[in-house]
Amino acid sequence: MQSSTILSVRNVCKTFPTRGGGVEALRDVSFSVARNELCVLLGPSGCGKSTLLNIVAGLHTPTSGSLSLEGRPIHGPARERGMVFQSYTSFPWLTVLENVEYGMKLNGIPKAERRERALHYIGLVHLTKFRDAYPKTLSGGMKQRVAIARTLANAPEILLMDEPYGALDAETRWHMQEMLLEILRTTQTTILLVTHDIQEAIFLADRIVFLSAHPGRLKTILELDFKKGKEIRSKEDLVELAGYPECEREIMQLMRGEAKLEEDA
Amino acid sequence: MTQALRTIPATRAKDTRPKLRIFEFKSEIPASWRLTLGVAVWVIFFAIWQLAAWSGVMPAILLPGPGKVLTALYTLFAESGFLGDVLVSVWRVMLSFVLACALAVPLGILMGAFKTVEAFFSPFVSAWRYLPAPSFIPLLLMWFGAGDAQKLALLFIGVIWFLITLIADHTKAVQKDLINTSVTLGGSRLQVLRTVVVPAALPNIVIAMRQMLAVSWTYLVIAEITAADAGIGAMMMRAKRFLHVDQIMAGILVIGLLGLICDYLLRALHAQAFQYLDEYS
Ligand SMILES: Nc1ncnc2c1ncn2[C@@H]1O[C@H](COP(=O)(O)OP(=O)(O)O)[C@@H](O)[C@H]1O
Ligand SMILES: [Mg+2]
Repeated sequence: MQSSTILSVRNVCKTFPTRGGGVEALRDVSFSVARNELCVLLGPSGCGKSTLLNIVAGLHTPTSGSLSLEGRPIHGPARERGMVFQSYTSFPWLTVLENVEYGMKLNGIPKAERRERALHYIGLVHLTKFRDAYPKTLSGGMKQRVAIARTLANAPEILLMDEPYGALDAETRWHMQEMLLEILRTTQTTILLVTHDIQEAIFLADRIVFLSAHPGRLKTILELDFKKGKEIRSKEDLVELAGYPECEREIMQLMRGEAKLEEDA
Repeated sequence: MTQALRTIPATRAKDTRPKLRIFEFKSEIPASWRLTLGVAVWVIFFAIWQLAAWSGVMPAILLPGPGKVLTALYTLFAESGFLGDVLVSVWRVMLSFVLACALAVPLGILMGAFKTVEAFFSPFVSAWRYLPAPSFIPLLLMWFGAGDAQKLALLFIGVIWFLITLIADHTKAVQKDLINTSVTLGGSRLQVLRTVVVPAALPNIVIAMRQMLAVSWTYLVIAEITAADAGIGAMMMRAKRFLHVDQIMAGILVIGLLGLICDYLLRALHAQAFQYLDEYS
């Protein structure tokens, strides 16, 4: 098991300097992500999930602690750690195809290969019909699919996603979640995904890293054993699975516990 | 269908087309109304002007009617070589504005993108912004005389500081996540600047140019009136000496038209170049 670790986060603390002496966002967080697993960072809003993901991406530096990818220490952002943001980040002045080619162009991938890979990933997110469209004509869900294709086409070793479906309406969110699982069935990808949506976490995750509220600490790691070896393609598949209600109830209680601690504090 | 769900037949809707009211908050009006109202305001303006001229409240020589002004305009172009003056003015505005942009665009973008560049230039730029450009006219006249150089210099310092500030602000407003997207895809600082910051800020930079070009016309007239050698303002000062009020008004008309044309051209350029934007803002 240890050998398959791709990302490891060790004793990470983060305090944002502010005028009033600093905001402690993360305290001593350690966990690891295994190759080809979808690991979800779950926790109440404001518990430091985005901060942690940004640290993994290299966009923030930890106050203390260390991180490594494939044994190499993480310093600053790099191609190997691709990120999909909650806000829509398709470049409006580029077409869908140009958006997906963008990262590869930065990294000097030859034109023919760039085109081929871009078209492959555009197909994977079902946007082939829209390859020459500008983002203004796309819905929110389609823009997020462009972002996912763009990041995957850039061949990162790990895909970081910060509430990628947070801005979408409920029905679109389902479709997007199902599509992510579909992509995972066909491509070997490691994903670290942040959410505060319990259903989303259970549906997508192989493993859930649960952070407690303020400052974010590692509360527990949940292995979703009831899903092991089961073929889950849709939300209905999940809801019908034995063990699902118990799992959801347990996580709800964890969340509620955090909310109560916040009130008491 | 389960028992829990019951469908309710839709009732026929009454004719609820909203009545068009003249005063309605923020509601769109038909294009025909817009056109009629837009023309009406000018008709009323010219009518009042004409009536004032006929009524004799002012001597006819000080307040010619619109017809006389149009005639003067024709004569100016046909007989007095006014086109030369117009071209001189246009050329002064264009050249000074191109020079101002050549400095303001790169500097504004760098100030908006990098806090260190901003911290260095911002106190300087802000201070100059509060010095009225016309206050430099006596100095510029002594340094450069009454020719082109003095005009170009005044136009340049009249717009450059505001242009830099506006462009820096627009660059600063570029969404952080767009920059971070490029960075996490492996973009170097130069790549991020070239492929994200510049294209993201560009539409608003063109809008800033449009706004400052209008200001540029204002300073042109000030420059040409205070040190008349050639140009539209110079023609107006010559006309003043001979009490040709109709010519002065024709000059004002031409300046207004040129400003409108510039504005229209930049607006069209914006709409053409940035078709990918949601809407023209
Ligand atoms: N740049 C920052 N400066 C100061 N405080 C911050 C900054 N970013 C986040 N925080 C604080 O850190 C805590 C965690 O924020 P965040 O990581 O965004 O939480 P989450 O993503 O779990 O909702 C919050 O209390 C937030 O106010
Ligand atoms: Mg967040």
